[in-house]
Amino acid sequence: MQKIQNFIKSPKAKAVLICLVLVLPWLPLGGSTNYVLRILTTVVLYMCLALGLNIVPGFNGLLDLGYVGFYGIGAYTAGLLSIHYNMPFWVVVPLAAMNGALWGILLGTPTLRLTGDYFAIVTFGFSELVVLVIRNELWLTRGPMGLPGISPPSIFGHTFMYDWEYFYLALFMLMIVIVVVSRLQDSRIGRAWFAIREDDIAAQCSGVNLIKYKVTAFAISAAIGGMGGAFYAKWFRFIHPDMFKFWESILILCLVVLGGLGSITGTMLGALVLIPLSEILRMVLPQSMFNARYMIYGLVLVMMMRWRPDGLIPFVRDQENKALKIKNRILNTKAFQPAADKE
Amino acid sequence: MESLLEQSSLILQQLVNGITLGGVYALIAVGYTMVYGVIQLINFAHGEIYMLGAFLTFTMVTTLHLPFFVAILLTIMLCACFGIILDFVAYRPLRKAPRLAALITAIGMSLFLQNLALLIWGSQIKSYPREVLPAIFSKAAFSLGDVFISWIQVFILSVTVIAMFMLHIIIHKTKVGTAMRAVSQDKTTAALMGIAVNRVISFTFAIGSAMGAMAGIMVGLYYNAIFPHMGYMAGVKAFAAAVLGGIGSVPGAMLGGGVLGIAEVLGAGYLSSEYRDGISYAVMILVILFKPAGLIGKPLTEKV
Repeated sequence: MQKIQNFIKSPKAKAVLICLVLVLPWLPLGGSTNYVLRILTTVVLYMCLALGLNIVPGFNGLLDLGYVGFYGIGAYTAGLLSIHYNMPFWVVVPLAAMNGALWGILLGTPTLRLTGDYFAIVTFGFSELVVLVIRNELWLTRGPMGLPGISPPSIFGHTFMYDWEYFYLALFMLMIVIVVVSRLQDSRIGRAWFAIREDDIAAQCSGVNLIKYKVTAFAISAAIGGMGGAFYAKWFRFIHPDMFKFWESILILCLVVLGGLGSITGTMLGALVLIPLSEILRMVLPQSMFNARYMIYGLVLVMMMRWRPDGLIPFVRDQENKALKIKNRILNTKAFQPAADKE
Repeated sequence: MESLLEQSSLILQQLVNGITLGGVYALIAVGYTMVYGVIQLINFAHGEIYMLGAFLTFTMVTTLHLPFFVAILLTIMLCACFGIILDFVAYRPLRKAPRLAALITAIGMSLFLQNLALLIWGSQIKSYPREVLPAIFSKAAFSLGDVFISWIQVFILSVTVIAMFMLHIIIHKTKVGTAMRAVSQDKTTAALMGIAVNRVISFTFAIGSAMGAMAGIMVGLYYNAIFPHMGYMAGVKAFAAAVLGGIGSVPGAMLGGGVLGIAEVLGAGYLSSEYRDGISYAVMILVILFKPAGLIGKPLTEKV
């Protein structure tokens, strides 16, 4: 058991994951049906979203309940830009991410001064307001009629049509997100975030500019949310205010918590477990009861916090890993061997 | 002159509706604020207890054929027990854990209970059958001048006032109320003074949940609609009321509920009915941003 845990904590786990990422792309060609492909694409999309959300509660220790607001903003930015201005995918997605980040900064600058509970509530209110605005500003978003007819993405004149193309596109996006997030984690910014997470007062006393780093985190998280939304809009080609309800935030939070707050591999594992589970429940539960699947998500949140607050794959800083290795090496030297060995 | 009179009576009518709604919000808000006072936790699952209150009474009057007022009393007691169990199962193991863990648990419990209710009672909107209600509720409204007040509104307002009055007595005149105030000031010192802190917390949950259940039953009566997601909206609005009044302060919650109820009804009537729900979010965000202590709360300082 200890061995398994050590393995999970080791960089080898990352290597395994990279292998998985390398292997997964070949799955679609192996004759899997479109249905499976679509679920896999959803899994990858949610991996991106969860990695984005992870930055705020995972790296900074702040509960963000409004993540879906940025997802919705990104989706509608992408949808409206491609309908009205016929912009290509590769322009729309960065714009959607930037719009998400912009709102992240606007919301974060005043609210990140607040204590954790208030921050959670304000972000929640924000996401509800986003949905209300989308629903009621008919001139802009067509409200409850939804936004149909979003053009599909294209590359070098080739328009995306098949499910496997979208799957690769999602994988590509996931790669970018993983690189960005893991580079951030090990950077100076990442260290500041973890200091804030452990004890923000101590961090402030050590010269960490709390507001600056928290707003940065929030903006990056919002940008990833916006990007995910843009992909979703371009993939599904129809968006509706109901797709961006509060529960979606909780679902993404659930992925992060199940995998391990702050852990990149864990977060991805969370998506890999829970999204297919929700598909299975879709088949098991009758149509009217489908929303009852959230009961399981609620239970996951409660039980994880009770028994495994660090998640399935707990997050360990590299430094700690190194320290552990050095400690083991010292313990294995002769000086520390039990006295019995000498005789 | 004529139209001015008409206008003012319309405003008065809206005020009456607003105060009724505000009373309900206040009843729920008290539960949030008291729990926040003693353990500094936003109990997201409180809205679900309100929903359970409405549903339990519904089941008792329809399936078990209990008289309405007996059902109400039983429901209130059950919900009080339920609040204690909620604390015991979900929050107590996490007392010493980081705040984030407790918050996530609270959200998880809320989600779990809401969808449990969906599984048990189904997604269809239910209402209390007319024939089991006391006859007076179906009587026509009486009017004061041009303002109409229904008997259900009278019932809601009087129950709210009585409940608030009793709460005031409990908090300020009884031993357990003194203990509650002590715990909310400083848990460790309270424990050193011989107060059984966990028991006081359980008691707080019980009182808050009982008030929440009352609110649920009355809203079920008022709007004639009981559904599994009712606790979500009401919970948010009540929380906004608690924040508006100053979280942790019981009179603040009452005041906040009243103000929010009136603001919502007037806002829906004169500004925009589409953004009816948005009003409480906006109020909540603005208060948190500009006056986090609320209308009559004490300013929060972070202890190092």
